Amino acid sequence: MPLTNAEFDAILNDETKRVVGDLLWQEDEDHSPSVEFRAEVLSDTGWPLFVKATYNSLIPALSYALILKNVGRVYALDLGKDHHNPQCNQVGEKHKHKWTEQFRDKEAYVPTDITEPASTPVAVWQQFCAEAKLTHDGAMTAPQPPTGDLFQ
Amino acid sequence: MTQINICQQFSGGLSDLFKCEAHGEYQRIRTPYLYPDGDNIDVFCRPQGDVVLVSDLGETTRWLRMQTVSPKRSPKQKALIEDACLTHGVEFYKGMLMARCRPGDQLAAVTFRVAQAALRVSDLWFTFRTRSVESISDEVADFLVERHFNFERGEKLAGRSGRAWTPDFHVRAASRSSLVYVLSTGSRSAARSVVNQVHTAFFDLNHLAAGPEALRFISLFDDTADVWSDEEFRLAEQLSSVVRWSQPEEFANLLEAA
Repeated sequence: MPLTNAEFDAILNDETKRVVGDLLWQEDEDHSPSVEFRAEVLSDTGWPLFVKATYNSLIPALSYALILKNVGRVYALDLGKDHHNPQCNQVGEKHKHKWTEQFRDKEAYVPTDITEPASTPVAVWQQFCAEAKLTHDGAMTAPQPPTGDLFQ
Repeated sequence: MTQINICQQFSGGLSDLFKCEAHGEYQRIRTPYLYPDGDNIDVFCRPQGDVVLVSDLGETTRWLRMQTVSPKRSPKQKALIEDACLTHGVEFYKGMLMARCRPGDQLAAVTFRVAQAALRVSDLWFTFRTRSVESISDEVADFLVERHFNFERGEKLAGRSGRAWTPDFHVRAASRSSLVYVLSTGSRSAARSVVNQVHTAFFDLNHLAAGPEALRFISLFDDTADVWSDEEFRLAEQLSSVVRWSQPEEFANLLEAA
């Protein structure tokens, strides 16, 4: 059964969602220019939810997403990459995907409460947590940019 | 509209679909191609010596990683990336899709190659388990095929109680054969019942683990989600060898061991 709108709203509005522990940006499996982290989202309701983040400082492009196990991405903030909605309108380089039964995670909107730029992942994380009703009990340090010329 | 007008309109409108602008030390070409969620595919260009580097700067694999909690791609997914790169003449280097535009090459053609490769690589999304196209058992089967293990999938075996059990794989290796159950769930609350079920199956099948052709019992945990407790691993270890899907080499070594 796909996730219903009501179920998604219940997940998003659940104010017990929390990430516990420090968040450390790490290299991905390809040693690409991007860094990433993944953390489990705990909650009183027990949804199998994870937060995933990636940051490519070359662009710069930053994404934070809530991923529900066995469903996939249900909520995501993207900075630094344009988006084309199913209704054929361009949304812009600051957009947020939100699950709906009709479009799954393909429809995005401009989140007005995200004001920090992609180049400041820690500040954007705080704004993302606020809108997603997510608390983070821990610290996040800024990711280190890749060193040297990647193409040499 | 005559045929000639169609061609003129198409040619004239094509360049409007691509937006090229300076972007730091790169020129960014925003293409009309879309990742499966509707995000635009961007290609970045930068002169280097007498060539122009054309790359997605790792944005395609970054996009893919944002769709899943799995920390690593499966062997099948890696093979699909290699295939897409081969088709479009693109190099996969440090997670980036790259091509060189050499003197005499057309930059537009090289850009299209990289963008098309990005499009195809992003379609790996359809192989993710959350898209219901593929299960973890499918991934394990692909791995066994890749490693040239002979196996039977979903074989029904009678337990001592008379009940029929269906381990996920009966793998035959040179030294010894194994019965493999794949344990996978997204829910911590369901994790214990999954382990209990497999524990019961191995207990009921333990006559197959005796004698000169004793089968090895293997519990293969899907640890892409952190739902398993130490207690559950210890319970599974009582009657089987425990391996984690995040460490496929250990799984292969165990299957090959005497």
